[in-house]
Amino acid sequence: MTARRLFAIAALGLLLATSFGAGLLPKFSYSAQHREFTDAAPSLRFPLGTDELGRDRMARLLSATRVSLVFAAAASLGALILAALIGGVAGYCGGWCDRALVHGIDLMLSLPWLFLLLAVRALLPLNAAPLTSLLATYALLALLGWASPARVVRAGVRSLRDSEFVLQARAEGVTELRILLRHVLPNLRPILLAQFWTSIPLFILTEANLGFLGLSAGEPFPTWGSLLRELQDPLLVRPEAFAPVAAIALSVVCFKLLSPRGGYQV
Amino acid sequence: MTRRFLPVLVVAFTSTALAQIGGDLRFCLRADPKTFDPLLVEDDNSEAVRYLTGGVLLRVNRVSQQFTPELAASWKVDEQGRRITFHLRHGVAFSDGTPFSADDVTYTMNRLMDPQLHSATADPFRSSSIPPRITQLSADTVSVTFGAPVSGLERLFDQVAILSAHSPRKLAAVLGPFQVAEYKPGIEVRLSRNPNYWKTDAGGRRLPYADQIHLQIQQNRDLELVRFRRGEIDLINSVDPEVFERLAHDAPSSVTDAGVSLESEMMWFNQAPSAPLPSYKKAWFASQAFRRAVSEGINRADLARIVFKGHAQPAAGPISPANRFWFNTTLRPHPFDVPSALRRLQEEGFQMRNGQLYDGGGHAVEFSILTNAGNRSRERMATMIQQDLTALGMRVNVVTLDFPSLLERMTQTFQYEACLLGLTNLDLDPGAQMNVWLSSAANHQWNPNQKSAATPWEAEIDRLMRRQASELRPEARKRLFDRVQQIVWEQEPFLYLVNKDSLMALSPQLQNTAPAAVAPQAYWNIEVLRKSSQLAGNR
Amino acid sequence: MRPLLSAFVSVDYPGRPGVLQGVDLEIAPGEILGLVGESGSGKSTLALALLRLLPFRGGTTRGELRLRERDLLALSERQMRAVRGREIGLVLQSPISALNPAMRIGRQIVESWQAHRDHSPDLPGTLEMVSLPTEPSFLDRYPSQLSVGQAQRVLIAMAILHRPALLIADEPTSALDAVTQAEILKLFARLNRQLGMAVLYISHDLLSVASLCHRIAILQQGQIVETNTSEEIFQRPQHAYTQALLRAIPRVPEFLPV
Ligand SMILES: Nc1ncnc2c1ncn2[C@@H]1O[C@H](COP(=O)(O)OP(=O)(O)O)[C@@H](O)[C@H]1O
Ligand SMILES: [Mg+2]
Repeated sequence: MTARRLFAIAALGLLLATSFGAGLLPKFSYSAQHREFTDAAPSLRFPLGTDELGRDRMARLLSATRVSLVFAAAASLGALILAALIGGVAGYCGGWCDRALVHGIDLMLSLPWLFLLLAVRALLPLNAAPLTSLLATYALLALLGWASPARVVRAGVRSLRDSEFVLQARAEGVTELRILLRHVLPNLRPILLAQFWTSIPLFILTEANLGFLGLSAGEPFPTWGSLLRELQDPLLVRPEAFAPVAAIALSVVCFKLLSPRGGYQV
Repeated sequence: MTRRFLPVLVVAFTSTALAQIGGDLRFCLRADPKTFDPLLVEDDNSEAVRYLTGGVLLRVNRVSQQFTPELAASWKVDEQGRRITFHLRHGVAFSDGTPFSADDVTYTMNRLMDPQLHSATADPFRSSSIPPRITQLSADTVSVTFGAPVSGLERLFDQVAILSAHSPRKLAAVLGPFQVAEYKPGIEVRLSRNPNYWKTDAGGRRLPYADQIHLQIQQNRDLELVRFRRGEIDLINSVDPEVFERLAHDAPSSVTDAGVSLESEMMWFNQAPSAPLPSYKKAWFASQAFRRAVSEGINRADLARIVFKGHAQPAAGPISPANRFWFNTTLRPHPFDVPSALRRLQEEGFQMRNGQLYDGGGHAVEFSILTNAGNRSRERMATMIQQDLTALGMRVNVVTLDFPSLLERMTQTFQYEACLLGLTNLDLDPGAQMNVWLSSAANHQWNPNQKSAATPWEAEIDRLMRRQASELRPEARKRLFDRVQQIVWEQEPFLYLVNKDSLMALSPQLQNTAPAAVAPQAYWNIEVLRKSSQLAGNR
Repeated sequence: MRPLLSAFVSVDYPGRPGVLQGVDLEIAPGEILGLVGESGSGKSTLALALLRLLPFRGGTTRGELRLRERDLLALSERQMRAVRGREIGLVLQSPISALNPAMRIGRQIVESWQAHRDHSPDLPGTLEMVSLPTEPSFLDRYPSQLSVGQAQRVLIAMAILHRPALLIADEPTSALDAVTQAEILKLFARLNRQLGMAVLYISHDLLSVASLCHRIAILQQGQIVETNTSEEIFQRPQHAYTQALLRAIPRVPEFLPV
């Protein structure tokens, strides 16, 4: 394990641990509006100051960290499962099935997904709790995000299917199912892992974009993206309000460090 | 916070030091004007050019809110409000020297009323089925006769820039203080001084003072702000509270809070019977006690203080105090009073259990407030209301939608529970609000297009609004409309939250400014605005 | 004697028809037949065609294919699978890429036994036969930790695990150094002798098969131009192509029966 991977794991672990640990403390409420202390400078009570509604920036940042990291990882996993299924079937079956699925993948990749997200959000029930709407947003991201990993998986499965060792296994009379389970899937793992690690920062950044546009979780629920909205104020001078940017940048860099470079080639 | 109401139109300048004055003023338009034809104006940018270049028969003074004579030296309304007769000013000429006469008024009115022109400005003139008749009584007298009495008739003429009937330069001949000198699409509209403008200052000097106005086309508000801070533009007509505070922090003399404006922010519950909502929710929203309780559960002072940084005040009703004549001064904003709100809810059969409110049928009280995504003050207000109403045991979800989706829900599908939006009355006269208050109207937002009034109080508002429309004595109309405001205050179909202040940025070098709360706030008295540095430079 | 395998096949690839044109081949039980041809003549294609593996490479096979009396082209894919590895073993051309890089070799051998499960495997015996160590530390290795010669032996071990009647080896020595080549050649001779296994030994090098094979078939551009005993091929080559191949060899060796 290289030093950079160690650093990435340590930093992410620290982020997760503090965010989860802080969630247990009752004093941290992401929604309480301390209206007599709006827009306050950092202090012992509010280490990152308060936002324009008097909410503790630190508490909001920590719970946003928790939510964004966990949800991004979950969405990445979801997208990957879809990608593995669809890309796997396309690559393994080949033929018309492959052609149809590849068209489907291309279609997904060319969709104006922001518009789609807007449309789906507009269809959500109005009384969806903030967490539900966030869940829906991430589920949608996962539903939309499978296409490009699916393409990679398909290429991987295809080259595995046509590889010499699979042919050798066939020559030994191994059944299709066992070829799939024992020969193709294990060799796909590095590809899937790489896709998993590279998708997480993508989802984090996508959520940040959505949140910045006000399309992430509903108020008062904080996510990294929704915290960024404070920065829309062109005249904002408080450096502590940039803490979410630092958290996002740090985690994205860490995930990039974790994702294998080049990885295993088939 | 400075609030200046300078009741002046023409400031007396006696100093001979001002022998040479001129110079250029600069400010921004949000986009290219869509038209330079003053009769076809529909957008704000064209309206700015019309205001700066067009001469009108009479004008609503933006500070005193009184009608003041312009091209008409005097006028008279008679035949029970069906006819207005203008006596025109003498010795006035268009910018190209063509003399101004009754011909021009007749020509302008006839062109305005031409159905082929499709002028939006003409719409208010068509309130009755019979089109107005224009009669030229003499070289300096013109009358306009309407098919039916029109209350507050004069105000319509504030919008009509008089064109020249005879000038070879057609639309380019103007009667306002400036004329269009050059238009570079996407860059700027340059206006130059109208040398024949009829107004003079108290010293007899011909106005306007400024030589030119550069209307620079700048979509991006942040860039506009940067340019103001660099001194490249002289004013910003309306700025957000945050921007205001920041500018005030850096240079207190560069910002002006002109006091409460005509803009208000409000919230309402969906009372449309066809709305796809459960019947128990419809029952809540139709309940006056419920609406009043929610209203008393909202801390309006906090909204004004926190969201608008103090540049707003709790609102009482549909008419802003900025509307001097029509505001019902007996109304007070609903107080923030949680115990009273809880009492109202209890009397209505609601019950509080473990911090959650339930209605008589045992349904937990939860509703969503819809507002448009991207409007941060509205999102903040909704978030604060969300927290305020937890004290009443209500669970509120804040939902932001892009504007088209929001409008679709508001006007087509009625799939919403509560909505938080803003409102700007461009017209001071309540006659312009018929389309909101009549129960049959499309903009009767809480329950539009009713066949017959759904409630007795809506029926009463219908009656009052119709009566004020045919009443001519302003005091009598005011009594009727005061009653409308009173009913709205009691019933709260709209929960008025705050009236926003009119905030603007003005270069400290600008002189003779008299900021108004009404558009065009900073430059309504453009003819007397000038810059002090040029004064020094030109001496 | 009735042939173990008789084939008369033509193969087309999409966009490349006639890679094999009526290749006529018979292998007797216990016989080592050498198949010699230059690179691209269709040797590997023929090996795959005999096991009906060409569909996985996009090729189509026409003609006749009999294993003893059975018509292989008439079998279902499921029945064919039972033939592969159990009745005909195949060792592919490049040993390193023919092993699954993500699987320990012990596991791979077990996988190939489990494909048929017809008898308890004589794993140690088989490994010994191909001169591979039997200890776990060896079996726990991944293919990347083997030498090419070891990989080739592992493949051969897997191919003979079920004691097939016919072993097809596609250029088993081409990737090896001279010493290992000689050892592998000896290994095939031993397998043939000890197990009575027929071998189709494919090579592009006439010289290397000379000592091993009973008979040699010469393949030129998808056609068998000459089949004869090794002796005859070397001493009385009939076809011009065979003669050219012989001329390309620096010195005709003594005929050495093994
Ligand atoms: N999958 C395939 N698709 C199309 N052409 C192929 C394929 N495999 C082999 N070929 C072609 O068929 C010919 C014979 O190939 P091959 O059997 O591999 O020859 P050899 O093993 O004798 O070197 C070559 O010209 C090769 O290019
Ligand atoms: Mg080959």
